[in-house]
Amino acid sequence: RPFINTPQATGADQAVGFGLVGFSLLLFTYYTIWVIVLPFVDSDHVIHSYFLPREYSVILPGVAALILLLCVGTFIGVITWKNRKPKKVD
Amino acid sequence: MTKLLEWLLGVSLIGVAWGLVTFDLLDLQLPPQYRELAWPMPVYLLVVFGCYSLATVGYRVATFNDCEDAAKELQAQIKEAKEDLKKKGLKM
Repeated sequence: RPFINTPQATGADQAVGFGLVGFSLLLFTYYTIWVIVLPFVDSDHVIHSYFLPREYSVILPGVAALILLLCVGTFIGVITWKNRKPKKVD
Repeated sequence: MTKLLEWLLGVSLIGVAWGLVTFDLLDLQLPPQYRELAWPMPVYLLVVFGCYSLATVGYRVATFNDCEDAAKELQAQIKEAKEDLKKKGLKM
């Protein structure tokens, strides 16, 4: 018989969904402290040891964006390659 | 003025303000902390927007209700379509 949505599907959906929410909140908090808060904290405060040098707050998102673009481009390339059709011979 | 022009104007103004502060083009002698705060701003805003988008998608996935009836109906329609196409000679 064909497989239909079971109540379990909601559980997995909720786990993934709320996982994404939690991850976004963590990332937002860490990044906001790094970019907005740290410049106003004394340079000898211990909190600075939990953060990379400031340049990385721009370099890392840049690298992440590049990798994302590469993945998207590769995916499109692979799909296009798979769907190439041979020319018709008359 | 079209919405596009409005947006472009707004973004340009903000961009100019950011450039002035980051590269100190007007010699404003701003305190160093504010200059440190200013230069990552474009990337920061993009990351924050990304986080907001991710959180919105995640929340909508988590709160989307299952539609059992719609799922059953869809499965039945798929079955019907497959049989119909097989009769007409399509290979699956």
